[in-house]
Parts: sequence; C-alpha cells; structure tokens
Amino acid sequence: MATTATQTAEKAQAAEEHEHHPSHLEHHFVSSEQQFDSAKMGMWLFLITEILLFSGMFVAYTVYRAWHPEVFATASATLNWKLGGINTLVLLASSLTVALSIHYAQKENRKMLVTNLLVTLALAGVFLVIKYFEYTAKFEHGVFPGEAFAPHGHHYEHMAGMPYAAQFFSIYFVMTGIHGVHVVIGMIVIGWMATRAMRGHFSAEWYTPVELTGLYWHLVDIIWIFLFPLLYLI
Amino acid sequence: MAHSEYPGSEHDHHIIPKKTLFSVFGALVMLTILTVAVAQVDLGSAINIVLALAVASAKASLVVTFFMALKYDKKVNTMVFSIGTLFVGIFLVFTLFDTAFRGDLGNVGIETISAEKRTEKKLKARDPGAAGLAIAPGDSARLTDQLAADTTAAADSAAAAPDSAAAASGGDHGGGGSDHGGGG
Repeated sequence: MATTATQTAEKAQAAEEHEHHPSHLEHHFVSSEQQFDSAKMGMWLFLITEILLFSGMFVAYTVYRAWHPEVFATASATLNWKLGGINTLVLLASSLTVALSIHYAQKENRKMLVTNLLVTLALAGVFLVIKYFEYTAKFEHGVFPGEAFAPHGHHYEHMAGMPYAAQFFSIYFVMTGIHGVHVVIGMIVIGWMATRAMRGHFSAEWYTPVELTGLYWHLVDIIWIFLFPLLYLI
Repeated sequence: MAHSEYPGSEHDHHIIPKKTLFSVFGALVMLTILTVAVAQVDLGSAINIVLALAVASAKASLVVTFFMALKYDKKVNTMVFSIGTLFVGIFLVFTLFDTAFRGDLGNVGIETISAEKRTEKKLKARDPGAAGLAIAPGDSARLTDQLAADTTAAADSAAAAPDSAAAASGGDHGGGGSDHGGGG
C-alpha cells in the first residue's frame, strides 16, 4: 500500500513538472528561450567553421591571383558572367524566401511557411541546373580541373599550353563545387523542414530547426556573393 | 514561470516585418546590378577589385544584419561572427606576408644566401681595379702565372679545410681527457 501511494505521488509530481515543460524543451535547459539561444549560438559557431573552410580556398585564390594576374584574367574571361549573375539573383531570392518562411513560422502561418520553404527549394534547384549547364559547357571543351585540363574549341583553345591556366580551373571547380555540395545539403535539409512543417511540427513557440536551417542557407548565399565577383567579374 | 527565472529573456522573438525583408532584397538586387555594371568598365585592376569587394561586403553585411537577424539577436552571436571573420583576415594577411615577398622563385641559385654573399665578397676582393685591367701586350705571360697561382691557392685551401676540422675535433677530445685527469 505504501508503495502504491509513493508511486501515485511520483506520478502526480511528474505530471506537474510536465505542465511547466513544453514537449520541445530539454530538461537541462532553464527555459525555451535559453534552449533557443544555445541552439542558435551553436549554429553560429558551426557557421564560423564553414567560413574558415571556405577561407582556405579564398586564400589559395588570392595567392594564385597575386602570382599570376595575367593568366587569371585570361582564364576568368572564359567564364559566363551572365549565368553567374542570374545564379546570384536566384540565390538572393532564395535567401529572401527562407527569411520569409521564418517570418511566417513566427506568425504561426503554416501554409505560408511551407510555401516559402518549397519556393526556396525550387530556387536552389534552379541554381544547380544553371550550374550544371555551366559545368557541361566547360567539360565539352576539355576544361577540367587538374591534370585532365585540355582545352579545345573556339572560346578555349588559347589556354592550351598556357602555364598556370589549369590551376585557375582547379580553383574554380573546387570552390564552386564545394559550394554546390553545400547547396545540395541545404536542399535536403530544407526539404526535410518543409515536410516537418507540413506535419505541424513547428509553432510560434518552437521553430528552432527552421531558424537554424535559415542561418545555414544565408551563409551559402554569402559565400556565393563573394564567389561571383571574384571568379566571374574581376 | 520558467521565463522569469532566466534573466534577460524576452518571451517573443523579434519578427522582422515583411517590408524590411523585401527592402533588403531590393537593395541586394541593386547592388548585384551595380557590381556587374562597374565590372564592365575598366578602371584599372586594383580599383575594380576594391570596388567589387566593397559591394560584396556590403551585400554580405545586409544578409548578416537583416536576413540572419544579427541586428535583433543576442550580442554574443555578433561577437562569434566578428571574431571568426577577424581570423579569416589574419589567415589571409599572414599568408600574404609570406607569398607576396618571396621574390622571383624561378631564378634562385643552389647556394644559400650567406654562401652567395661570401662568394660575392671573395670576387670583390679579387677585383683588380681599373689599373689592373689595362693590359699591355707583354702582360699575357704574367697574367697566366697569376691565374695558375690563384687556382693552386684555392685548391690548397679546399684541401686544408677537412684537415683543420679534424685537428679541431682532435683538440676537443684531448681537452676532455685532460679534464677527466684533473678530476681524478
């Protein structure tokens, strides 16, 4: 009898505790706010490691360019700045829609949250399709990274045998390629967020995963903001 | 209840108005058009690079401030971001301290810089001066003798070098031995 009484008391206590803890709140956090802020700071720390990952490539770019400015100018001129520019606008628009999705998550508008996430996903897809056409146009003319570099055809043949021209395309393909991998990962995560949003996993009280996905996506946008002028324009 | 226990917390997150988001997007598009337009004009490589980087930085700042909402966020996140970018700057600048001052790497000798300096000094010491360079027909034999003497001297000093090194190390050993003797 005594055991049953204790168990009942424990259950009551547990139920009471549960009342003060929303289902999303882990017990080691004081409040939803603290949990949200911790998650966000963790995301910012991760984004810094991402920035440092790309900074290694930006440094390689800078050193290469400082050493071989003429080769850089010649090789860079073969990139299609119009496609690069369109892709910049596409990514900027996707940044807007992902910011809007958070706006609607905070207002608990599930339909608009899902719509904006799906539009972001579609814009990311457009970016990759344009990138695919850019890459294939280069591959068709033997413009590959590294040892395979063997340019031919009207627009590219002047680079055949030009010292250090191959290195430009190694830098170009590695930088845009790793950025592209980030776009693909972003698409997977955004798609996942969209399905979770459809199933009503998020509320104005708790939308942390959408917020963090948004931060990641904006970073992918920022990297491209720098890649576009540095590779295509100047 | 839990919220009041966590100082400095506000229950509601800042909701960025749609108008702000669209204005920021408009500004980003305008800046993109600007950077493309400026790049079509040749202002000299350095100015074009500075302008393009300035516009890109402005765009990145807009994204970070409004889309990523650092403006409305806890200051600690701004600090994390600022310190991170500071280290990117350090990475870049300190790498350039090396790579920008290497000189012509395609035109380096096999000797070390100090060995090159020694050689240069030696050659300068041998400089005969303007008077010495004035050659009369009868000087030919004397010059040939002098050249032969120089070559012999150089060979002698080269041959002497290993000997003197061995002598020095032998002397060290002797010194060590006598120290031991003194101790005993």
